[in-house]
Order: sequence, then structure tokens, then C-alpha cells
Amino acid sequence: METLIGMVGKDFVLTAADTSAARSITVMKSNEDKSRDLNKHIVMLYSGEPGDTVHFAEYIQRNVRFYEIKNGIELTPKAAATFTRKELATSLRSRHPYAVNLLIAGYDVTTLTSQLYWIDYLGSSISVPFAAHGYGAYYTLSLLDRYHRPDLSLDEAKILIKKCIDELKSRFIINLADFKIKVADKDGVREIEI
Amino acid sequence: MARRYDARTTIFSPEGRLYQVEYAMEAISHAGTALGILASDGIVIAAEKKVTSKLLEQTTTSEKIYLLNDNVICGVAGITADANILINYARQAAQQYLFTYDEDIPVEQLVQRLCDLKQGYTQYGGLRPFGVSFIYAGHDSHYGFQLYHSDPSGNYGGWKATCIGANNASAQSLLKQDYKDDITLKEAKELAAKVLSKTMDSTTLSSEKLEFATISLNDENKVVYHLYKPDEIDLLLKEHNLGGQETEQ
Amino acid sequence: MAGSYDRALTVFSPDGHLFQVEYALEAVRKGTCAVGIRGEDCVVLGVEKKSVLKLQDPRTVRKIVTLDDHVCMAFAGLSADARVLVNKARIECQSHRLTVEDPVSVEYITRYIAGIQQKYTQSGGVRPFGISTLIIGFDANDKVPRLYQTDPSGIYSAWKANAIGRSSKTVREFLEKNYKEGLTKEESIKLAVKSLLEVVQTGAKNIEIAVMTSDSVVKNLEIEEVEAIVSEIEKEKEAEAEKKKKPSTSTAQ
Repeated sequence: METLIGMVGKDFVLTAADTSAARSITVMKSNEDKSRDLNKHIVMLYSGEPGDTVHFAEYIQRNVRFYEIKNGIELTPKAAATFTRKELATSLRSRHPYAVNLLIAGYDVTTLTSQLYWIDYLGSSISVPFAAHGYGAYYTLSLLDRYHRPDLSLDEAKILIKKCIDELKSRFIINLADFKIKVADKDGVREIEI
Repeated sequence: MARRYDARTTIFSPEGRLYQVEYAMEAISHAGTALGILASDGIVIAAEKKVTSKLLEQTTTSEKIYLLNDNVICGVAGITADANILINYARQAAQQYLFTYDEDIPVEQLVQRLCDLKQGYTQYGGLRPFGVSFIYAGHDSHYGFQLYHSDPSGNYGGWKATCIGANNASAQSLLKQDYKDDITLKEAKELAAKVLSKTMDSTTLSSEKLEFATISLNDENKVVYHLYKPDEIDLLLKEHNLGGQETEQ
Repeated sequence: MAGSYDRALTVFSPDGHLFQVEYALEAVRKGTCAVGIRGEDCVVLGVEKKSVLKLQDPRTVRKIVTLDDHVCMAFAGLSADARVLVNKARIECQSHRLTVEDPVSVEYITRYIAGIQQKYTQSGGVRPFGISTLIIGFDANDKVPRLYQTDPSGIYSAWKANAIGRSSKTVREFLEKNYKEGLTKEESIKLAVKSLLEVVQTGAKNIEIAVMTSDSVVKNLEIEEVEAIVSEIEKEKEAEAEKKKKPSTSTAQ
């Protein structure tokens, strides 16, 4: 039932994640943050088996931080995504694989570009201009197909993400009460309102 | 006195020294010289081959300079057999990194991986340390061109120009004298040849006794590695009037 | 004289010495000097930096390292050993955050580092780490500056101010004489520089200073800032020397 959305704009990445934590047919919490900042410029959104998700995300977060303290340099979004993919692929072949789907969004300070990676629990990883996970993908991808441009400004992207959320509100049978919107650009990752 | 503390590497002497490590360094100071010079547009590594014989096949592969990864090369001084183990380890480490991050390993991290292994051999196990020093030349997006040096203790440091092996002290002072901060790769090659011509025991320089390699960037900003062929070395020496003056005796 | 009691680490000599540990301390005494000073709301690390040679890249010569966002460390002794120990500690810092969702306390990571050092004095086929460390930082939700020391034997202790490495005895004695409670940030830095000047003859270019304030922000002083402090100290010393001279001349008149 969870929905993650992300899109690359002109010099930023915009992401949205619903904030409801549900179990069976009950909503347990409606302000859950389904993301972790991996470093100043990278944010990871997750959905999937509750427990697995947070555990895996924090494990990646700590590994990325360790890398940066040890080596004194920041991981690029590409490197972080590749590392994460490899961890998932290794996990898939273990006795208890993580059931986690991810979006990794970040700004690459070495190439001055913004990037978005779509990663699933099977260890697929792909760099995309926009992406969505969960049932929400069925409703939002068509909108993104129609309206997304690589040179989107932040204001335009905000309008587009609003469109996606409105579509979910009117068509999706589940009521996703609220979304947390984050943006990653040269100044880092931050939460914004739309 | 020293005898009692040098039988095993894992032992401190009463003065807090590690004799085995010091002896390994001593061994290296008799090995063929290798030097590296960092230029603004690339790095040159030059090395002296000690073992030469008319009967020795002049192979296409080098014995003192090796490619560790697409973006890193190294020069070696010391026990070549030990070097081979470390080079193999470094190549694997670099590939592992590429597999994990889909990027070339940053130069300093590769150096550090090797040095952690070297350090381990000075601290645990009844082993001797590795009898090799390295000069690494590499490029990454974080710090551009970089030149490093590492020794058997597992210490390493970054340099603008440095030298390992026989006569390294005099070579180092020559480098210090003639190095300029804005040196070009072309000038660096000349300086490398000049320094070796002065510090090598033999009177004549030729491709038989020398190995030469450079890294630089091509038009697409990719690192290119150039290992000089024997005739290219001779040409380079001739250009700078360093070779060719073979005195007929 | 030491017989064979310094060959194997796990063995005591008849008079109760662990020779290898003592020899490792010798390696520490050969290392460059480092001082740590606790102020009222800050803690300072100062190290004697070996002269960077003309052709060396100063970026790769590091004596003060970060263990985590809120913990720093300086060391004296074999730097390759230090690098390995530091990386073990860094892993523990992140691992601790992962398992208990809290950053390590400064004492915890000190105890962890000392624990590793101890292990290497009692295991077969290994030599001890040839380093002593000074660890500084602030605990989470706490404004009290912390300063700890570890040594090759695995002992750790908390200090108001301390020194390790070359001539550390001289520096410690200096600190014992000149340390006061409740030093401000500027006073702490000045005391660190002053104490290092006891053993560093070459002045500012061979001194490196890092200050951590209670917001856990670490600041490494620029060479110019250190130079300014050094010249200030020198001026004070001159003034003091003048003062001492004057009464003697006045009595002579």
C-alpha cells in the first residue's frame, strides 16, 4: 500500500513518500518518515516489510557514514546506490533476505548532477529520470510520463508531485493521509512543503 | 645485542624499535631505484632494472612498473617476489571496489588497503614483513593526480616527487633541487631521466636498464597509461642527450 | 638481562614485568608529542607535527583524526599501527549507533580502544600496538568536555590535561604547574600551544591544534592563527623577562 515517488529536475531531485504505517487493515501511525539521509546530499526512501526496511536503511546509513569518516570523502549517489544494490543482492541469496524496495536520490558534487536510482528487493538497480514504488506507481507513472521533463524547475516539480498525490487521493482505494516531500540539491537534503 | 630481537617481526626491541621492519627497509635501499614525479598534467614513474644480461629476454611486460587499476600504476623497489603478492592483492582490492561502488577506487584508498596488509605483517603472526616499497601514481575525481609512497612498516605519504631504492637520498635531493610546482609531464620525464642518469651506478643509460611509464588524461578525461617500449625509451634519452653516448671501449 | 621473558608476550618475567609492553611504550616515547586540555566548555588537542618536507603532500600527514562526529583522537607512536586501531574504533562508533541508536560516549570508545590494546598484550603471536592515544569529545546531550588517555598496555584514564609521546614528562609537569580549572576556549588553546612550545623549538609551523566546543564542532586552527598565538606567548615571555630584570637593576642603582 506504500507509495514512493521520485523525479530528477534541472539541478535537484524531488521525492515523496507516504507517511502511513499500516498493519493488516489498520493504520497504526500516520506520520512515519520512510526515509533516511545517507549523507548531506543523498536521501534513501524505503518501503516493504516493516522492520526490514528501517533496519536495512540504517545499516546502509551507518556504512556510508563509516566510509566517509574513514576516507574523508563523500560517496556519490551512484556509489551509494551500487553499494546498496550489492547488499540487497547478497541478502537475497541468504537465508533471510530483506524485503525492501528503495529509491535513492542525491546530488553528485563531483559531476554537479542530480541522480535518482530505483532499486527493488531483488537487487535490480537502475538510474531513472523519475520513478515510483508500490501501488501508487500504477497511478503516478502515467502522469510522470506525460508531464516530466529533465529541465523541470523546482516549482514545476512541486506542481507535478502535487498532481501525482491528488491522483492517488481520487483514484486509489487506500487513503494515504499525508506525504513527506524531500528535495536533494547542491545545498543538501531537506524537507519541503508543497 | 640486536640479535635477540630480530628473530621475529612481532617483537619490540628495548628501545621500542622493530628491527625486522628496519632490516626490510635496509634491503630495499640496495634494490634498483624507482622514482615518481607529479606534474600538472600527469605523473611519470621511472625505474632502474638491476638484473641485466645479454641472454635475458627483453620481454614486453615490465618488472618494476605495474598497472594496479585503470587509474593507478605503481613502481616497485625491493623483493620482487613479495611485490607480486602485494600487486595481486591490490588489483583484487581495486576490482572489489569497482564491484561494490561501480567507480574506480580513489588512489589513497588503494594505497591504504595495501598498507593495512603490510602493517598486519609487522604486528601479528610469526611472519616477516614485506620487503618492498612502492611508488603509486594515480588519478581520481577527488584530488586529481596523486603520487604516494609506502614502505614495509605500512606507513604511507603523499608526495610531489619521491624516490625509493638504491641512492634514494641523493636522488631525493636532486628532485628537491629541480622540482617546480608547475612542472609539465614533458619536463617531468626529462627530470626523471636526468636524476636516474646521475644516481645510477652504470655510466650509460639505455632501455636495457630503464623502465618508464606515465599516466595522463586523454580528451575524454579518461586516465591513459603509457608503458614505454625499449625504442621509445632510447628515443626519450636521445632527445635529452642522456643516452647514446656509449663510450666505445 | 631480560633473558627470554621479552620474547613471548604472554609471559611475565620473574620480577613481574611484561617486557614487550614496556618496549612498546618506548616506541610511544619516540613518537611526536601530543597534548590534550579540558577547558570549561571546550577541549583542545595539540600535536607536534614533524616538518613536512618540501616535496611532501601535507594533506596526507595526519596526527589528529576523527572517530565520529563528536569524538577526536590524537596519537603518539607508530602511525601505521594508529591507522589500523583508528579504523577499528570508527567501525565501533557506527556499529554502536546502529545497535543502540545513540552515539558512543567518549568513555565507551576509550574503553573499547584500550580493550583492543590490552588484547594485543595477551594474545599469542602478536606484538602490542606501539601507540598511546588522547581521546577528546562530548557525550550526547551533555556539555561536559571529556579527555581520556590510553596506552599500549590497555590502561585508560580520564584527565584534565595530559601529554603523550616525546618529552611528555616535561610537558605534563608544565601542565601540572600551569593548569587552572575553568579555562576559556582561548586560554585552553593558548595553554596547549604554550605547553607544546616546551618541546617544539621550531614554533608554529610544527604545531597543529584542534578545538572541540560543546556543540561537538571541531575546528582545526590555521597556521596563521597558531602563529599569532605563538608570537603572543613570546611577547609575554619577553615582558616577564624584562620584569625580572628590572628589580635587580633597580637594586643595583
